[in-house]
Amino acid sequence: MAQIPIRVLIADDHPVVRVGLRNMLQVDPLIKVVGEACDGVEALELARTLRPDILLLDLAMPNVAGMEALREMTSDNLETRTVVLTALIDKRQVLEALQLGARGVVLKDAVVEHLSACISAVMQGQYWLEGRPVQNLVQVLRDLTAQTALPRRKTYGLTARELEVVTLITEGCTNKDIAKTFGISEETVKRHLTNIFNKLGVGNRLELALFALNHDLLPATEGS
Amino acid sequence: MPVNETILATAVYDQLKQAMASEPDGFIELYREYLAEAWNTLHSLREAVQQQNAQDASEKAHYLKGSSLVLGARVVARVAATLQELALNGDARGAEAGLKQIEQALLELQAELSDRLGARVIPVRSTAA
Repeated sequence: MAQIPIRVLIADDHPVVRVGLRNMLQVDPLIKVVGEACDGVEALELARTLRPDILLLDLAMPNVAGMEALREMTSDNLETRTVVLTALIDKRQVLEALQLGARGVVLKDAVVEHLSACISAVMQGQYWLEGRPVQNLVQVLRDLTAQTALPRRKTYGLTARELEVVTLITEGCTNKDIAKTFGISEETVKRHLTNIFNKLGVGNRLELALFALNHDLLPATEGS
Repeated sequence: MPVNETILATAVYDQLKQAMASEPDGFIELYREYLAEAWNTLHSLREAVQQQNAQDASEKAHYLKGSSLVLGARVVARVAATLQELALNGDARGAEAGLKQIEQALLELQAELSDRLGARVIPVRSTAA
């Protein structure tokens, strides 16, 4: 008996991405692309009318953003399982997406490699994160919650990126190391440092490291 | 460019090509559309940077990054990501340099795709002029 194909709706504002994804998925005889949406509003409309098994949802779309579309879909109680497509893993965003009912997160540079496997795993009731099926969602959520608990820490007005820079400074990294870690220029690192110095009222890297240690500015280490 | 980073991720390109084996013209069209859109986005990005519109520049860089990642244009994606961050930090000088890096990466990618797929892959408007 022929297997019923998995019905997939693609929602991404890039036409070339939609074409690429559609062609990639249609190679799999067990997957059928039933629709394409170019923004969040259309994604919601098509999800409601087509009732796909899987919605591939880009988070950064015009009109209704992906996260908002996900929130609305959850409140609609649609049975469609959503896989989020994103250019960058932002743990806070991943946590929010999972809390809103997303079943998988796939990085855009890994869609060719992972998308079919992800869809298959999600249809079997699993979750998919970081390129593999997730065995223990509770643990993943617990870890993500712990890793994204920054706002409860006193930050002295520093941005998330500035806090990351502070952490690397206390680990003895040079501006060049930091630039390489984040894929930014040394000039941008210097700009971050100037902002950090001004916000904290410190004058050099040593004072910054001492301030960070004395004011609990560093992320909690494992087990602490 | 970091060591071992190729202008085009061969695994992504090959898998897409295989997926579209039954419509080779469509495959060329896909990359031509990507290049045309990328050049247009670079043009808009340049305007946003000149007008010091950081939010617009950041959004356009993000847009370019997304399609580049899916089609295996990793260097374009990386320099677009860098420009996105520079724009958000208000680093105008850095952003100007970032624009040049994107243009260079697009030219190299276009040459690579032209070698692989022929001159038909080059869109009519194939520079950021």
